[in-house]
Amino acid sequence: MPEISRRKLLQGAAALGAASALPASMARASGSLAAAIYPGTWDEAYRSVVAPLLAENYGVDVDFDPLWAVDQVTKARAGRGIAPFDCFVLDPGPTAAAREADLFDPIDASMLSNAGNLPDGMISADAATVNVQVVGLCYNPTAFPEPPTRWEQLFESPYVERLGLTGFQTTFGTVSLIEMAKVFGGSDTDMEPIFAKLQEALPKVAAVTGPAGLPGLFQQGQIDLMYTNTNNVATLKKQGVDIEFMAPETGAITFSTSLHIVKGSENVEAAHQYIDTAISAAAQSQLMMPPYNMIPVNKQVELVDTLYIDSIDDLADMVVHDWNVINPQRAAWIERFNKEITK
Amino acid sequence: MAGAAKNEPGRVDWRLAAPLGFTYLAFFAAPLLILLAMSFAADDRFASFSMDSWVKFWGDPFYRGVVYDTVRLGMVAVLATSALSYPIALLFIASGPLVRKLLIFIILLPLLTSVVIRTFAWIVILAREGVVNQTLLALGLTSAPLNLLQTELGLVIALTQIEMPLMLLPLVTVMQQINPSLSDASRALGGSKWRTFFRVILPLSLPGWIAGATLVFASATTAFISQTVIGGARLVYLPSLIWQQSMVVFDWPFAAVASVTLLVAVLSGVMLFSLLGRFARTT
Repeated sequence: MPEISRRKLLQGAAALGAASALPASMARASGSLAAAIYPGTWDEAYRSVVAPLLAENYGVDVDFDPLWAVDQVTKARAGRGIAPFDCFVLDPGPTAAAREADLFDPIDASMLSNAGNLPDGMISADAATVNVQVVGLCYNPTAFPEPPTRWEQLFESPYVERLGLTGFQTTFGTVSLIEMAKVFGGSDTDMEPIFAKLQEALPKVAAVTGPAGLPGLFQQGQIDLMYTNTNNVATLKKQGVDIEFMAPETGAITFSTSLHIVKGSENVEAAHQYIDTAISAAAQSQLMMPPYNMIPVNKQVELVDTLYIDSIDDLADMVVHDWNVINPQRAAWIERFNKEITK
Repeated sequence: MAGAAKNEPGRVDWRLAAPLGFTYLAFFAAPLLILLAMSFAADDRFASFSMDSWVKFWGDPFYRGVVYDTVRLGMVAVLATSALSYPIALLFIASGPLVRKLLIFIILLPLLTSVVIRTFAWIVILAREGVVNQTLLALGLTSAPLNLLQTELGLVIALTQIEMPLMLLPLVTVMQQINPSLSDASRALGGSKWRTFFRVILPLSLPGWIAGATLVFASATTAFISQTVIGGARLVYLPSLIWQQSMVVFDWPFAAVASVTLLVAVLSGVMLFSLLGRFARTT
């Protein structure tokens, strides 16, 4: 008899799962498009800023599908030629992976009225940069009135004991670890030095966690030091968390987030209108404000002081990475990180 | 044929079960077969087949360790929830209707909040500045905050609370149906309280425990959120390994091997519990 209740429970759960999978693809109509979006801040920001502007300017409705970058690529790959949505939003790592898997349709810059307002190179044959992220150190100013200014200090006392580590699962984690490898004599093809340092630091660090766990641990005082992007810092700060951002001496890291049209999209015109709206000064100047804190790329937008960057020109001095070099090695790094840090 | 089936007692017309049956065939059995095939594929396009992923997974002590840790976590969660559930269940059957209603409400309460919220609540409780550490520090029981987050102990504590209703509900349901005169008889014949528990109540409550243990085991071994958020990156279990391999690394055949392994591990646990039940009933 209890056996039956277990089965019922499992059947119920399966039915719920099946039901939740249904509506996404059924909700599409003409004059509309479906766009993948990062869950959380991005989802909120694009729903409340970009979607109304798109409807107002072009009469186009957009449905958002909240998915992390890697999940978007996985979903598009699993579709095997049938686009699950029309637009991606991706970080450089997944962008390179998606490009390699031939998941993009071309972007026609002549269909983007705002293309001229972006710095050169931000619109390419299959990518339109919509904002940039800046990664560096962040710390609790009460715990550390004298914060670390160099990557190597993360591995020294008293900082290491309050450090929250995260691995290669995210873009910001990967590029931060590469920068740490560099200061210890490594490079983006030689991560040996940072793995050695991680081994040494493991017994001392305050936490090693997945990327989603870091903000919560910081908020709870479990850690006082981590590496992350300025958006996260601004969001935590807005919630009253004692946190400050600091660009390391070797420079903050920057990478761009870009929109792409999914291969096989049937709403190419609407997709271009969506991209054009996202890079417009009207959208970008709103996306820059709290609680979204997205660093704009449109040159017409004047930056506010909550972004930890003075002008778009600053980006030229920041550290950038070649994901065509990183991607082929990333699986091995993740596997090694798993093995070496596991208790 | 249908008419004949209708007239025969004990036989159910298969057509009633057909909609769900075919749904399962199409949306559960078929994907499962694809998953199995994927684990033997050389890449996610099924270009060629090989045993490489299986050899890589089972040939590496690290991954065998991950399987062992996952199963062990499930077993420990079962033990911990069992140890805490029996006293509550005993209290429940000894109570009057009003207290029973209150107890059921308290048991169900955790199920009414999302597992994500319950997990994050445990971060607040177990953190260095959390309730547990603040209490221990205030009582002078420890001089420095204990590290409870990111440890297996912390994860087991949280999972025990999160999975507790799954053990308690079937246990309470079954124990409610035990005839109270049986324990009275045992006591009247001179059996001690412990003897009565072990010889009368425990065997009779076993079907409920088995159902509870099955649910807790299956749920704890696959508790992706709790394992990732409370366990952190230093404790690797199969669910987070599967996520990582499929979503970040894009090694689908390897993720498929890990998925099939997790499925078999959970099923083995479930079968073990039902075997225990059969064994207990025949002796």
